Amino acid sequence: MLQLSRKLTRSPYRTLLLASALSLGAWQAANAAVPADTLMLGKAADPQTLDPGVTFDNNDWTVTYPAYQRLMRYKVENGKGSTEVEGDLAASWSVSPDNLVWTFTLKPGNHFDDGAEVNAEAVKFSIERLIKLKQGPSSIFPEDMVTEVVGPLTVRFTLKKPFAPFLFALAHNGASIVNPDVKDPDAYLASHTAGSGAYRLAAWQKGQALTLEPNAHYAGAAPSLKKVVIKIIAEPSVRRLQLEHGDLDIIEDLPEDQVQALAKAPGFVTTAYPSLRVTYLYLNNKRPPLNDPNVRKAIVEALDYQGIVDGIAMGKAQLMNGPIPQGMWGYDPSLPVPKQDMAAAQAALAKAPKKVSTLQFLYSDKDPAWEPIGLTLQAGLASLGVNLNMNKLANATFRDRLGSADFDIAIGNWSPDFADPYMFMNFWFDTANAGLSGNRSFYSNPKVDELVREAASISDVEKRKALYQQAQKIVVGDSAYAYLYQKAYTVPMSSTVKGYVFNPMLEQVFDFAAMSK
Amino acid sequence: MAVLHLLRKQLLDILIVVVGVSLITFVISHLIPGDPARLIAGDRASDDIVASIRHQLGLDLPLYQQYLHYMGDLLHGDLGTSIRTHRPVLDDLRRFFPATVELALAALLLSVLVGVPLGVLSAVYPNRLVDQVARTVAVAGISTPAFWLGLGLIVVFYGHLGWLPGGGRLGEGTEAPAPVTGLYLVDSLLAGDWAAFRSAATHLLLPAVTLAFVNLGVITRQIRAAMLEQLGQDYIRTARAYGLSHATVVMRHALPNALIPSITVLGLALGDLLYGAVLTETVFAWPGMGAYVVQSIQALDFPAVMGFAILVSFIYVLLNRFIDLLYRLVDPRIAKVN
Repeated sequence: MLQLSRKLTRSPYRTLLLASALSLGAWQAANAAVPADTLMLGKAADPQTLDPGVTFDNNDWTVTYPAYQRLMRYKVENGKGSTEVEGDLAASWSVSPDNLVWTFTLKPGNHFDDGAEVNAEAVKFSIERLIKLKQGPSSIFPEDMVTEVVGPLTVRFTLKKPFAPFLFALAHNGASIVNPDVKDPDAYLASHTAGSGAYRLAAWQKGQALTLEPNAHYAGAAPSLKKVVIKIIAEPSVRRLQLEHGDLDIIEDLPEDQVQALAKAPGFVTTAYPSLRVTYLYLNNKRPPLNDPNVRKAIVEALDYQGIVDGIAMGKAQLMNGPIPQGMWGYDPSLPVPKQDMAAAQAALAKAPKKVSTLQFLYSDKDPAWEPIGLTLQAGLASLGVNLNMNKLANATFRDRLGSADFDIAIGNWSPDFADPYMFMNFWFDTANAGLSGNRSFYSNPKVDELVREAASISDVEKRKALYQQAQKIVVGDSAYAYLYQKAYTVPMSSTVKGYVFNPMLEQVFDFAAMSK
Repeated sequence: MAVLHLLRKQLLDILIVVVGVSLITFVISHLIPGDPARLIAGDRASDDIVASIRHQLGLDLPLYQQYLHYMGDLLHGDLGTSIRTHRPVLDDLRRFFPATVELALAALLLSVLVGVPLGVLSAVYPNRLVDQVARTVAVAGISTPAFWLGLGLIVVFYGHLGWLPGGGRLGEGTEAPAPVTGLYLVDSLLAGDWAAFRSAATHLLLPAVTLAFVNLGVITRQIRAAMLEQLGQDYIRTARAYGLSHATVVMRHALPNALIPSITVLGLALGDLLYGAVLTETVFAWPGMGAYVVQSIQALDFPAVMGFAILVSFIYVLLNRFIDLLYRLVDPRIAKVN
């Protein structure tokens, strides 16, 4: 019996120890150093589709943006990303006096990754395909726009009504110019690239990694990074560990507490860039009791803004003073930054014709900050004698409720598709956009409608700015929404990575051609 | 004739389960408030664009028509196209499912290799040190969250020691072997690609250990209970009375009988491992079904979720039928009764 016991208990342990000892030497090479001409990027989720006519997700743009060119691109000024645009494929352009006809001349010598020339036909094909597909990105252009080829390198767009942000829309990922020679583009482009950008997709192991390699026919200077590998790692702490270990050079989407821990270690850059991504509260203007501006004002006054920025955003955010965030033209520095004022809140609530005892706060688990923000508001309203019921839903259900105006107060994030105050003022306040598409407070004011619609139809920037600022004062006075903060954007990376430029319009997008190690 | 009858009955059972699962999944998927077309189009798209996408996906048809279309396609082996990835669901399942199967099989193998001896020892020496250890391991296995254990193993073996990779299925620069089974370990062996085999094995080890540990408790406790029951039987006393050694009594007589009820547990454990791999896959960046299904659920990607549910239920039923057959083989009395 003793012998059997010895055999069973000792032998496996001995074998295990031996195997472990042997394995140590064999597996030492698990974390080999990444070559200097290879960039390793850690991403939380696999792209869904790589078709620029279909994807509306910045997570996919990491691949599509450097693989395609567009007529316009965002400028880099003094090493900083700008919200101004300049020609990318476009050498020059002109617009008719009525702002309806836009004519572009393309730069010669740009080629797709199969060597074919980028010409006016390719532009027509790409833009018409985008509009015909009727997927998310098609919403950036007026639906009834007509595209014509005027010459081999000249293309003309004719609009039915003026659309001031047109040039900015042409820098959007959806306006990428795709190779018209591709067979069965709808199927092919979902998992391949066919553009004239600096890189092309070399391989995509679904759920694991994507590999980019330089486009041999790219018209610009040859990039110094010969390979970019995008690894899919869902767990943030594992992404951080791989960055610290040198297996990754850049990681995305790291929670703020981990960013702060990483910042203490030498050899990493954790710059917090001011972004245009804002967090704000929707106050349902459509249904009682929030259809009364006094009740909305009470909510706006009862919020502990500084506490939210310091405690929830861990100081990595900037308070908003109105709908247009700082960094976007049209921002009005004269508007006061909000702060908690319980006396003003009490006074506003007292003016309400009916006593408000209970309100509902709708949110989902999409952003971990939303729940604590709701709890902060709950505490503020409790001291006014108002009970705030927290109602957490699955994100899809949450959006459905938002769209059907079935809430009192709800929360959301918003980032612009193009660098124009139109993205905030027209989307958020035009009565015609009521619902999930933009005006989620269901705010309606004929005067504001008039101002924002006029601003969208003229091209004079100063006049537009004046109109938007006039509208801003009205909507802030009406407490249409509660504006909280602009979240800072952090892309932790190894200090060996050079040339990264953040552009607030292009979160999760990297100009790999300008980067090196 | 009897075999044919049995086969027909088994196939009918499978068909009923698959149709039932497809119907339940379909109804539940469509009862959840939320519009996949809106999710695809983005919040800012106009209602016109959302309606267009809804039409493209056939979501504007009455529910029963959508279900009939789905089942019609299913009969032709078409699981539809994923709303999220825009690829055929069958292609996605083919791509992601083998990774989950490889992980689940490796975990099952590890948990059997450790759990069966541990359970036997625990029963042979009840209330002794080995039993205490086995029971502690079993409880720890059942109560340890895979997520926590996985992260801990990565921190130690990748972060601190640098012995094993910190996630993924293959190392950077290692080419995946030509797909035959989709299981990298098997395919690399078939291709004679030792570099890929080594890379696949090192990447598989930590996630398999994590998943196995959670399953270990169930197997250990099951074997222990079955062994204790067998060791108290008359035939064991008779064997001992004949003068057979303790080892022979345990290994040749008690264990084979104790394994019979354990077959069910092992079969169900494999099914659970297929489902349970989700969290482990997330921690280890293992490109299996886990992330695919979670993202599909979040995106209300009905075809992908249904494809997964049908596939897993089909495998579950097949496993159960296989276990039934195994029972007949290892215990002829069962076949006789039936």
